[in-house]
Amino acid sequence: MSDLDDPHSTAPAPRLFAVRGPLDDQGPGPECESVGPDRAGADLDDDLPAAAWWVALAGLPGMGPARLRALWEISSPREAWRLVSAGRAHLVPTVGASMGRGAAEQAASWARAAAGIDVGGRWQEHAEVAVTTLGDGLFPARLVDDVEPPLVLFAAGDLTVLQGPTVAIVGTRRCTRAGAEFARELGWICARAGARVVSGLAVGIDTAAHEGALDARPDGAPPVAIVGSGLDVVYPARSRGLWRRVAEAGVVLSEYPLGTEPARWRFPARNRLVAALADVVVVVESPRSGGSMYTVDEALRRDRPVLVVPGPVRSVASAGTNWLLSQGAHAACSPDEVLAAVGLAPPDTGPGTLLDPRPKPAGDGRRVLRALGWEPASLDVLARRTSLGLGPLAVALNRLEADRWIDREGGRVERRAKP
Amino acid sequence: MLATVASATILGVEGRPVTVEVHVGQGLPGFTVVGLPDASCREARDRVRAAIICSELDWPNRKVTVNLAPSSERKIGSGLDLAIALALLGATDQIPADALAGVGAIGELGLDGAVRPVAGMVSLVDAQASTTVVVPNASAAEARLVGRHQVRAVTRLSEVVLGLKGEGAWPDPPDPPAAPPEPPAPDLADVRGQPVARQALEIAAAGGHHLLLIGPPGAGKTMLARRLPGLLPPLSQPEALAATRVFSAAGVPVPGGVLVTRPPFRAPHHSSTMVSLIGGGTAALRPGELSLAAGGCLFLDELGEFPPSVIDSLRQPLEEGVVRVARARASVTLPARFLLVAATNPCPCGEATEPGACRCSDAARARYRRRLSGPVLDRFDLRVEVHRPDPSALLATEAGERSTAVAARVAAARDVAATRGVSANSAIAAERLDDVAALDRGAHRMLETALRQGRLTARGLARVRRVARTIADLDGVDPEAPLGAEPVALAMALRSDASSYLQSAA
Repeated sequence: MSDLDDPHSTAPAPRLFAVRGPLDDQGPGPECESVGPDRAGADLDDDLPAAAWWVALAGLPGMGPARLRALWEISSPREAWRLVSAGRAHLVPTVGASMGRGAAEQAASWARAAAGIDVGGRWQEHAEVAVTTLGDGLFPARLVDDVEPPLVLFAAGDLTVLQGPTVAIVGTRRCTRAGAEFARELGWICARAGARVVSGLAVGIDTAAHEGALDARPDGAPPVAIVGSGLDVVYPARSRGLWRRVAEAGVVLSEYPLGTEPARWRFPARNRLVAALADVVVVVESPRSGGSMYTVDEALRRDRPVLVVPGPVRSVASAGTNWLLSQGAHAACSPDEVLAAVGLAPPDTGPGTLLDPRPKPAGDGRRVLRALGWEPASLDVLARRTSLGLGPLAVALNRLEADRWIDREGGRVERRAKP
Repeated sequence: MLATVASATILGVEGRPVTVEVHVGQGLPGFTVVGLPDASCREARDRVRAAIICSELDWPNRKVTVNLAPSSERKIGSGLDLAIALALLGATDQIPADALAGVGAIGELGLDGAVRPVAGMVSLVDAQASTTVVVPNASAAEARLVGRHQVRAVTRLSEVVLGLKGEGAWPDPPDPPAAPPEPPAPDLADVRGQPVARQALEIAAAGGHHLLLIGPPGAGKTMLARRLPGLLPPLSQPEALAATRVFSAAGVPVPGGVLVTRPPFRAPHHSSTMVSLIGGGTAALRPGELSLAAGGCLFLDELGEFPPSVIDSLRQPLEEGVVRVARARASVTLPARFLLVAATNPCPCGEATEPGACRCSDAARARYRRRLSGPVLDRFDLRVEVHRPDPSALLATEAGERSTAVAARVAAARDVAATRGVSANSAIAAERLDDVAALDRGAHRMLETALRQGRLTARGLARVRRVARTIADLDGVDPEAPLGAEPVALAMALRSDASSYLQSAA
């Protein structure tokens, strides 16, 4: 693996970050004790900071926020680790309750896993990323009082960028061209207006939103991403470039230690953090069920406003968003409405963006564009709507595609909002 | 005490002449077959012996040696039984030696002396240099297709003996009951709506362009594909004979008679093995589905479900029009010039053409994308999405255009292609495209823009020009005139990048 391919090594060198056990000092603030990236002497267990134990605990198999939280309540993280190593964690009532049925087996599997973990070595491995635990100075303020906060967060990039207004832009991975375009535009305008775009780095809407936010750099607000795997496990793999750019311009956060593989159950947990870190959640496109609906539930649980982008009635990709609207969610018909929800003024988008540089379609082209509207349509449908023969229709579509008025995808033609 | 009878054995679709020599001489009673017989050939000794005894003829109590010449080639199958029996009877003077001159015999013997048919009769008879061939009655119609021989149709060994000795007339058994007539080909008029897919079918038939139909379940992909052979012109006499040879060699009954007159339509299931498609397998190197489809259509439904190795094995036959099957003992060339029509769902759940509707995992989509990309996709000149027709078109009272009307345009376009010296426009060599598929200004500019914007590749360019030529031919445009923008734009529109929607947007 080359250096460039490794987000781990290309993430900016960690800034000074506070690492502090929750029981050492409850008062986060500038006076808190800092431990620099130089972790000499970490091989001595006694010298390890509390965070080191949390890193080890967070990496245990089947460890989720609730169980980690229960362990947190025990006493010191070292004590928690000792209990876990001894396979007796489930005997603590709160921890046992969090483990549900099969607690004894789970505790045994933790003990087996713990036997193979060198806490000091794991801590050294995490020298590349920032580690912050609940209650330390860099821990995101929005998460401190959260109903289900993470206990430990790993960050590639700058954790301080979280201070300021945030807008979560979420949606389905299987989005339409129009949905992706809107997400991209929204990401761009939010970033320009000073709102940090929060998303999950999934393909589809998430990716489009962050690409828009990155396009607004360097003037735009930094992007914030929350992922459901270790920071060095890029998923999906083709998003590697985007991960790196987000980490360089803003921050990529994860609840999971390095090396954690993505798993189905981790994504809802990731989505709760997206909702928790956002001042307002915007759903661009979502089918009736899916991760975005989960994010909406989490946002409502936290009284975060949810804005929903309306879509065509027959579009499967908008079935969930339209349902949310029918349930009384607020509609976001333009980026400005989103900005108003976080109390920001629309940015000066500058001249030029208003002028469409594309040559105005004429003749058959105009007829086709009018017949197309904003919903994807197949050639069959367009031929019927325009009453054009397939030959002239193909010529008109070719012209429109060359001039970037339309795109073709899956045998359907879609109108592009922008060149 | 020696007699010879001509016969033949089959390899691939070709018959190979075999001379059966039988020597009956001094020695311990025995029966030996030499000359590379395979197992079914060696078993001839038991069948021949029983058949001769049951026909109330004499079995010699001496040493019998059967040689199958040329002895360097492997002999396959039971079709040599009859020739062995006749030569043995000649060698033991039960049939006069001169009666066997100029007589070939092909057929399997039953223990009771019945003469039974064998596969590949057309090629087997064709390989005979003799003037008369004796064949089982059930295969007589096939044997007569060759047209060079006097065909003696028999049902029993005793009839042959009487005929050859001149003691009884050759039997003239009634032809076996005719095969049920072929059901009429499905008509394009049954397809409601779908103007784009219909147009693509017409172009595929006229230009011999391979066609890929992509769409969700229930969109009518299979229905459309099954109507393609009805648009193709009927086979010419040499084509029909070539197709019949393959059917005969494969032992596949010809629908509705003996001669294959309509372009064949073969639709192997996606669980088919590579050998069943390509051919080979048995020692006779039996032709596979590709060869059975030669001159007609090979329809691969659910292309994405075929194992990748099977799909890859189509590449060389598609390129060369023949399949070369090589085995340790022999290699054969089988015909494989067919029109490939394939249908596939866009993804395992089938809904990916509908934005947001696909519920497949990313891994499943990636697997499909790999199968439907690159080299395989490149073989299809026409790649068309078929959408579920909208309800108003389904309920429309007026039927679509009939197959006969479309077939007439297809035949006319094929005639135009014939003036260029090719059977169909898909066979136009790339270096001739500037001559026969010149571009006018508008078309030139359109292609240049598309190439520059990366919407068309250099390889795609040649294919678009061939398809555009076919579209212009179908429209009755002057074959000498340069291609205009319309056929070129339509050719590009019918060439979707099937893998595009398997990637996510953005």
